[in-house]
Amino acid sequence: MNALTQPIIAGQPLAKSQHDLHNARSVLDATLRFVRQQAQATDDPFVISRFGDLHIRIEVAAALLERAEDFRSSVDDDTEISVAIAESHLASADALNAVSNAEFELTGQRTALPGSLDDPLRWKLHLIGNFRLNGIHPPSVRSVV
Amino acid sequence: MTISAQSPRTAHVIHSDAEAIAVAHKLAACFAIEASVRDRERRLPIAELDEFSASGLWGITVPKEYGGAGVSYVTVAEVIKIISSADSSLGQIPQNHLGVLDILLQTATEEQKRYYFGKVLKGYRFGNAFSESKSKNAGAFETRIRFDKDTAQIDGEKFYCTGALFAHIVPAVAVDEENKAFIAFIERDTPGLTVIDSWDGFGQRTTASGGVTLNEVKVPLSAVIPAHKAFDEPTADGPISQIIQAAVDTGIAVGALEEAKRYAREARPWIDSGQDHGWQDPFSIAAIGDLEWRVHGTEAILKKAGRAIDHALLNPNEDAVARASVVVAQAKVLSAEIALLASSKLFELAGTRSVLGKYNLDRHWRNARTHTLHDPARWKYHLIGNYLLNGVKPARHAWN
Repeated sequence: MNALTQPIIAGQPLAKSQHDLHNARSVLDATLRFVRQQAQATDDPFVISRFGDLHIRIEVAAALLERAEDFRSSVDDDTEISVAIAESHLASADALNAVSNAEFELTGQRTALPGSLDDPLRWKLHLIGNFRLNGIHPPSVRSVV
Repeated sequence: MTISAQSPRTAHVIHSDAEAIAVAHKLAACFAIEASVRDRERRLPIAELDEFSASGLWGITVPKEYGGAGVSYVTVAEVIKIISSADSSLGQIPQNHLGVLDILLQTATEEQKRYYFGKVLKGYRFGNAFSESKSKNAGAFETRIRFDKDTAQIDGEKFYCTGALFAHIVPAVAVDEENKAFIAFIERDTPGLTVIDSWDGFGQRTTASGGVTLNEVKVPLSAVIPAHKAFDEPTADGPISQIIQAAVDTGIAVGALEEAKRYAREARPWIDSGQDHGWQDPFSIAAIGDLEWRVHGTEAILKKAGRAIDHALLNPNEDAVARASVVVAQAKVLSAEIALLASSKLFELAGTRSVLGKYNLDRHWRNARTHTLHDPARWKYHLIGNYLLNGVKPARHAWN
């Protein structure tokens, strides 16, 4: 199963976002530890601002995860919940992707994190857009978890 | 051209966060109707501003003990976002008024607080004569204040004076011989104070963010506050100034995304798409999905920034203020980027016809580009990264 063969499923669990966000934070911590050992790197304005970008992406992922959790407990509309979860998946995947690239670029190392690369994110954008633009509800498939 | 402010009317007093949000929604619906015409004709929103301040929204941060609602900064940001999504010039005009209210709270005497908060609850509007276009950088001031026995005299030249033209009282920043910054509250009709409607920027066209000259302006000492103390000590004043900027930009993004969806629905299908309607285009649909999650992410961080400010107001220490600066900086970066992205994608999704002058849809991008120049996002990435990587707390000033 990979991102080309995995079907898009409405109602996918939020665990996916938690998983990606957790991994994104671990990779960021590993990268911070590495960079802090290089005296000249901690003064480099471009390295510093790069971490600003990564931190923002992780905070957005955390905020949209929280938002999706709130929706699940306070909103009584399955589509709104599915869309909020899809947005949270996108944000966590974006954060993980960004920190992984930065880790490789800044340290030459790559932490292997399987499990996050089989998600058809492109179709989540479509799911969200099709509801917000056209009012078309995602196919209702019950979560397996 | 100079315009004198009308005498203030009686303002409604708002009593809760929920009421503030409800009033903002109601006003925004009215302001949206002619926002495009005002922009096109550069028609200054004088009647709209009277309605805005009479609604009580300009007094919502006055603390409860002074008769206001003392709302949370989550609510302040939401109110400014809602108004800005309808008309971002109107959303921007109270930004310095709200900033000044906090400086009053932090640095004024008890008597001054009672006097000025009371005026605000009656519907008085503060403008601003803070920035100078000829000084070395945004934080440097050449305008001077000289203290006599009973009065202070202010001399100088200001620019980017959003709100001054429409204000009843113009707070002006000036430095003493030791380069310490004070704010003098100058009544709009004080001799020597001239407000010039010289703002001809391509965006935020109806903010009248023009110039102010101060020529031997004299005020009583009771009209002067030691504003420098708001930054000598750790206070949330910098994050408060900044969250209002981020809320204006978030509002621009929200407004542009709504327009993008409205016009994308009417777009012709692209010849290669094989579709009957533009709204069936899978790439356009996904592009809307991308804007949606980014707007919601920005709104969620804006809320977190409001909570971080509320926390810093209750716990005015270096750590809480630094944390508020960092979260507000995140909101600032995200809102600047999504405002520019949404207002540009709007045209891509709506197609060539959307650039026709009759729609005036470019006002969203012009407003986004203009307002996001207030302070550069590139240094916010640095601020956030330096705090994360090196534990360096952000410098305390009105732009952090």
